Amino acid sequence: MNRIESTLNTRSADFLANRAHNQALAAALRQQQEAVRHQRPERDMQRLARQNKMFVRERLQQLLDPGTPFLELSTLAANMDYDGEVPGAGVVTGIGIVSGREVMVNASDASVKGGAWYPLSVKKIVRATDIAVENRLPMVHLCDSAGGFLPLQADLFADRHYAGRIFRNQSMLSKMGVPQVAIVLGHCTAGGAYVPALSDYSVIVRGNGAIFLGGPPLVKAATGEEVSADELGGCDVHTRLSGTADYPASNEHEAIAIARDVVAQWQRPQKARVQWQEPEAPYYDPAELYGIVPRDIKVQFDMREVIARMVDGSRFHEYQPAYAPTLLCGFAHLWGYKVGILANNGVLFNESAQKGTHFIELCNQNRTPLIFLQNITGFMVGRDYERRGITKDGAKMIMAVAGSEVPKFTVVCNGSFGAGNYGMSGRAFDPRFLFMWPQSQISVMGAEQAANVLAEVKLRQLARNGEQLSAEQIAAIRDPVLQDYRRQSSALYSTSRLWDDGILDPVDTRNALGIALSASLNQPIAPPSYGVFRI
Amino acid sequence: MAHAFILNGDEHELWLSHERGGYRLHVNALQLPVKLLPRGDDLHELIVHDDSHRVFIAQRGDEVHVHLDGETHSLRYVHSLSRFAGENKDEGEAVARAPMPGAVIAVSVEAGQQVQRGQPLMVIESMKMETTISAACDGTVQALHVSVGQTFDRDAVLVTLDRNGTA
Amino acid sequence: MQKNWPFQSVLIANRGEIASRIVRTVQRLGLRAVVVHHAVDAGTPAVRQADAAIEIHGATPVAAYLDGAQIIEAARGAGAGAIHPGYGFLSENAGFARACAQAGLVFVGPSPEVIDLMGDKVRARAFVAQGGFPVAPSAIEDDDPASFAERALAVGFPLLIKPAAGGGGKGMRVVREAAQLGAELERARSEGQRYFGDGRLYVERFVENPRHIEVQVLGDAHGHVVHLFERECSVQRRFQKIVEESPSPALTPEQRRDICATAAGIARRAGYANAGTVEFIFGGGDFYFLEMNTRLQVEHPVTEEVLGIDLVEQQLRVAAGEPLGFAQDDLQPRGHAIEFRLYAEDPARGYLPTTGPVLALHEPRGPGVRIDSGIAAGQEVTAAFDPMLAKLIASGATRTEAMATARRALSEYVLLGCKTNAGFLRRLLDHPAFAAGEIHTGFLDAHPEVAAEPPLAADTLHRLLATAALASRPVRDAADAVPALHAAMGAWRN
Repeated sequence: MNRIESTLNTRSADFLANRAHNQALAAALRQQQEAVRHQRPERDMQRLARQNKMFVRERLQQLLDPGTPFLELSTLAANMDYDGEVPGAGVVTGIGIVSGREVMVNASDASVKGGAWYPLSVKKIVRATDIAVENRLPMVHLCDSAGGFLPLQADLFADRHYAGRIFRNQSMLSKMGVPQVAIVLGHCTAGGAYVPALSDYSVIVRGNGAIFLGGPPLVKAATGEEVSADELGGCDVHTRLSGTADYPASNEHEAIAIARDVVAQWQRPQKARVQWQEPEAPYYDPAELYGIVPRDIKVQFDMREVIARMVDGSRFHEYQPAYAPTLLCGFAHLWGYKVGILANNGVLFNESAQKGTHFIELCNQNRTPLIFLQNITGFMVGRDYERRGITKDGAKMIMAVAGSEVPKFTVVCNGSFGAGNYGMSGRAFDPRFLFMWPQSQISVMGAEQAANVLAEVKLRQLARNGEQLSAEQIAAIRDPVLQDYRRQSSALYSTSRLWDDGILDPVDTRNALGIALSASLNQPIAPPSYGVFRI
Repeated sequence: MAHAFILNGDEHELWLSHERGGYRLHVNALQLPVKLLPRGDDLHELIVHDDSHRVFIAQRGDEVHVHLDGETHSLRYVHSLSRFAGENKDEGEAVARAPMPGAVIAVSVEAGQQVQRGQPLMVIESMKMETTISAACDGTVQALHVSVGQTFDRDAVLVTLDRNGTA
Repeated sequence: MQKNWPFQSVLIANRGEIASRIVRTVQRLGLRAVVVHHAVDAGTPAVRQADAAIEIHGATPVAAYLDGAQIIEAARGAGAGAIHPGYGFLSENAGFARACAQAGLVFVGPSPEVIDLMGDKVRARAFVAQGGFPVAPSAIEDDDPASFAERALAVGFPLLIKPAAGGGGKGMRVVREAAQLGAELERARSEGQRYFGDGRLYVERFVENPRHIEVQVLGDAHGHVVHLFERECSVQRRFQKIVEESPSPALTPEQRRDICATAAGIARRAGYANAGTVEFIFGGGDFYFLEMNTRLQVEHPVTEEVLGIDLVEQQLRVAAGEPLGFAQDDLQPRGHAIEFRLYAEDPARGYLPTTGPVLALHEPRGPGVRIDSGIAAGQEVTAAFDPMLAKLIASGATRTEAMATARRALSEYVLLGCKTNAGFLRRLLDHPAFAAGEIHTGFLDAHPEVAAEPPLAADTLHRLLATAALASRPVRDAADAVPALHAAMGAWRN
């Protein structure tokens, strides 16, 4: 595999301007994540201390093996919802190493509204369990939740992928032989009680931990019985009498030590065999990514430069280099794993879709995981293209993506608009993980375009009534739409609603993908099979 | 959660990570590349960064005894489960432990006997000095673990008392 | 020179390092060495070296070694013609010496009468004083029990209360104030009763910062007595010796001549035969008789090293009836020897005895290094016996050379599994006052930094933690369990 020859001028004004812009975005992201992860009102932290509880970050530090990475998912979930009062949606999820094993962690953040489940909290936990199911990842639950947030129960209770799905996924994990351990560090009420009950192993802290389908207030209201949380469903009740929990612990540290020891008993999973060689750092400096991504989303850039700063040794074997240049396809190694990369260098034409389809089939045939680097405004439109079957070719690519058995990973590097999102393995196509870059945008069409279309509609409406508008009036109609659209297509908006698994600083993409790849290989890779390609 | 070793009564946390060709020791905020190579009998070569040291090592259970630079040290591995275990496993028992190694010269109670806090239970001897072991609380003698003439090590359990539920 | 010994086989009624050391000489002389041992000592070097080993029993291990009748029975059964009692145990038990004689066995030591005389500290003191030899101001209870407390007061403070039947530094108490005298006398009495079966006391003026100087003497059955020069044993804890050396750095040649002549005079007056040691307190240019030990002493090797004589051999020859093979003028000490007692104890914690398995043992070797050891790898050090493990004797042409040899040897002494005082001994060696020979019996109290465990340097701490981590399975296993990718990424966070 040959090294990519970079043709980037790292001293050009453009590069430097891009770099300044993207570094600022990355810094803003870090700051925002830092605040979401660690800043809490003093009052809430004191309450935790009074209750003898550790802050969730401290619990995680004790849980995870020192000196190992933690890929946190959807840190900024709910950042644009609930008036920003529920940082991280009150849950921390991510992939880490516990006693040498890759696990998915699901930890309540009791410092946020007592760890109550908001609709986005439920969505985040469901997503974590979905990832666990798809990748056969063992789970560690750190339970400390006040239960469902009643005022918003309509958005978290009844539907198929609402709260019940957590428990369904837990049951599936157990059915699949993928172990889970729950550490009960606070209350597990109503539905929440099922998290430890459905975990193969559970640890409960004496004093603070409690499991009950109905808490003391509910019990009092229902039957008039007066009982404390501990008497109702505390450590000794469940470890000595009911058998609902397995291990009693005197304090949080002991509970976590027990859980780590439980995880240490689990079998090491058989990993799916894919090609692998000793990892090598990229030849080019990943920090140069800041200078490559343009400040203006409409400006094109060469994805080869991005790939060169992500893959081992910056080596890349390009597939069909002369054909369909707007879709870059090729092989590389990332953290040692052989991967097939599809990346956008322009709109998708017929040939691009065909090339992509063919390449996806190749990768499935030789068991090569797929990485999609999105920067797509869409498929080419126009009479000529339709006649040549662009819709059909797009369908082929979607069919290939959907039928792909090798794990897929998607990074929205820049734009992700319209049907291009689908062909490039958007969220609906079950990439094992999907990440966004800070400046990326995702919507049915670009904000400018959408604003123009909507304004155009309005203008025509007014014209029918014989009204003419000045430039300012047009702007007055167009600009709010543009602002709104920009907001709703931003990475922050997407991540708030968990349309993705988190926003990454571009330089972190390599490590994130490495961890994701390793986690995905706990699931065997089935031989490929597809639906009918409309040839 | 890190590992812990006790050395001279102090607990030290550390972590060991694997890297190609050896290991890395994580202690305080430092990371040190380390290697331990056997050199026959109890002798080993410890390599920290590029510095080589002769060490003698002997282990029994969780105790690691090390001779380094002419001095002998003992470290004891403490498993996290033991480190963080709660104080009162069972509220009902109290044990009397030997403050130093020695031998029992007189026992003044028997199993089943009710004792009061401060009541002498047995007299032990060490270094030609006599020490009286007294009951730490009111209770019943559940078991005497040593008899007259027997020797014991420091911290050995001598007597177990059953607390009578009084504070 | 072939010798016709009156006994072919010698039974060693002792254990540990001294048993091993005696066995060595017995065998070197072509005699058969028989050792008695309690079951707990089955793995010790002496038992393995001996030509025959006989197990003895007792309510406690110590009781077994004190059972004279059982030991004599063992000697008879093994065909041993002589019994060497070593030191401690029955070595100064006149009753046992008599029983040996009655059983037709040669007791390797002085006569029962001399043992009796010198064993009773009060009688011994009186005997020495009557001979015109220097003794410290004192009050003896026996002289007039009624006035004892009053006379004790008159001795002046500080004073030392000693049990009349005591020895080896046990049961002694220093009293500095008159107000404490009454209570201390009571306690000393009860301890004397407990440990020596005799509650009688005597009281002696206590010399502050005294130096403990003793003289080795040797007499034969034909009336010849020589001294084998002095040893200084000032470095002590709880009145027990830790370091002994010969010659004493404190004495001028005149003082040496005086004190050695005094010792020989005392031994001669007592009609002493076999090996013994006269102990003195030396301070302010004066010396006083302390006591006489009618046995081989622990620290006899330093005398052997500077004189090139095997004292155990001399004991056996005297016991066999031979006249001494040398005269006083034939004895010329050369060079310097220092003995360090390696104890199973923790000097930093009040010299508390320690216990544990001997998991590894590597003793230093080399020119000028002698190790008399009583332990072997695989043994358990228990609280059953005195905590002395071994003696390290370093020799050299000068005191400085001997110290240098000792320093190297101590750093090479490796015993893993039971805490020893080896580190403490090295710190002692490095102390400037010790190097200058400014030692006295209060040395360790005056310099508590020697006993204190020095703080660990950061580098040393890291090396120890690295060693412990790499040697411990759970730590290594946890490291090996982390997948290579995650180990390489380290503590990365997105």
